[in-house]
Amino acid sequence: MENDVIDIDIEKMMLTANGPMNLAVRTTIPSGELIALFGESGSGKTTLLRILAGLVSPDKGSIKFRNTVWFDSGKQINIAPQQRNVSLMFQDFALFPNMTVEQNIQFAQPERDNTSVNELLDNFGLTEFRKRKPNGLSGGQKQRVALARALARKPQLLLLDEPLSALDAEMRHALQDEIAKAHSLSGVTTLMVSHDLNEVFRLASQVICIENGVITRNGKPEAVFSDNSISGKVQITGQIARIEKQDTIYVVTVTSGNNQIIKVIAFENDLENLKIGDRVMVFSKAFNPIISRLK
Amino acid sequence: MNKLSGIINNIQQSGAIILVDVDVDGHGFSAMLIESVTQPEWLQTGNTIDLVFKETEVSLAKNLSGMISMRNRMKCTVQYIERGELLSKVDLKFKDYPITSAITTRSVDSLNIKIGDEVEALVKANEVSLMKK
Repeated sequence: MENDVIDIDIEKMMLTANGPMNLAVRTTIPSGELIALFGESGSGKTTLLRILAGLVSPDKGSIKFRNTVWFDSGKQINIAPQQRNVSLMFQDFALFPNMTVEQNIQFAQPERDNTSVNELLDNFGLTEFRKRKPNGLSGGQKQRVALARALARKPQLLLLDEPLSALDAEMRHALQDEIAKAHSLSGVTTLMVSHDLNEVFRLASQVICIENGVITRNGKPEAVFSDNSISGKVQITGQIARIEKQDTIYVVTVTSGNNQIIKVIAFENDLENLKIGDRVMVFSKAFNPIISRLK
Repeated sequence: MNKLSGIINNIQQSGAIILVDVDVDGHGFSAMLIESVTQPEWLQTGNTIDLVFKETEVSLAKNLSGMISMRNRMKCTVQYIERGELLSKVDLKFKDYPITSAITTRSVDSLNIKIGDEVEALVKANEVSLMKK
């Protein structure tokens, strides 16, 4: 398709904690969008980012960015990382400790451009910290510097590997807004590894789910994460923690993401194939729940 | 949950709200739904689906007369009653389908529900979900 910027068709044998796994990814990435890569750890998400950055070579296949071939095993093409103009930000990024915030950003620029440094400082709320060194910054501020630095390179592809996973929920929320803002300002095609569903919904226009090295689902977050086989609109996935018989019914405790504990009334026939530890979906109709402000 | 297999015979939509009529062995049911982001392919007139509703959403009536807003009414025979201290489970037979209603033990007593009784089971349209077969 015309709008697609990256064509990926690669295979890479990986050694994981559970033995060898073949990462086999075939997809196209649309231009200018923020795409989430979602999946369990060890599913191959990070390796895919490193392959796109040129840090890891696939065993076979090809990667094409617009009209440039980055990798082609048949033609023995493998463009060096620095020639791909990609910014990759890891979860354990490091800033230069001896440089100020401003210098950290300047250092990443292909050529010196103070206007764009000022813009980046401004966009990430870092103007007042520009002369500080990294050890005088909070975790969230360091994260902002790392993002600003990743964008300072004016990359044609931005790769974020769980950029916010080390932060607490509130800071993560604030930085998600800034990533969204930075993305809409720069318009750079961005691939972000995440296993935070909330983050995927807030930021990504498309989500690619990877399980055991292969893409299992790909589409808009709403479509990928809702079970379309049931009309119930309130759908929560979780794990059964407890089943108690009370009176003529069963009270089932289900734990869900963000440490939520849900209690559901169930009947014998609901529990026929269910036991503690099973992953389940709890669903209800959009008509039942009542909404109220958190105090 | 209670599950009845039926055929969709009408779908009416207004904005995001959808009212689906389903035929179960010649008996009409209604389900009110909210539109999905992507309309499921099975939500079409003529398709066979499962109607799903929770036991606790099934009200029971005896010798009901007058008018009532509940769209889903099933004439049933009481098969079995499991009495709890506060909540009882009433197993019913609607046509050839088993249906269960969970109501307060007080209601079982005030309606004097016994095995073999003819009762009417009632479910509001917005308590009925549809499930792909």
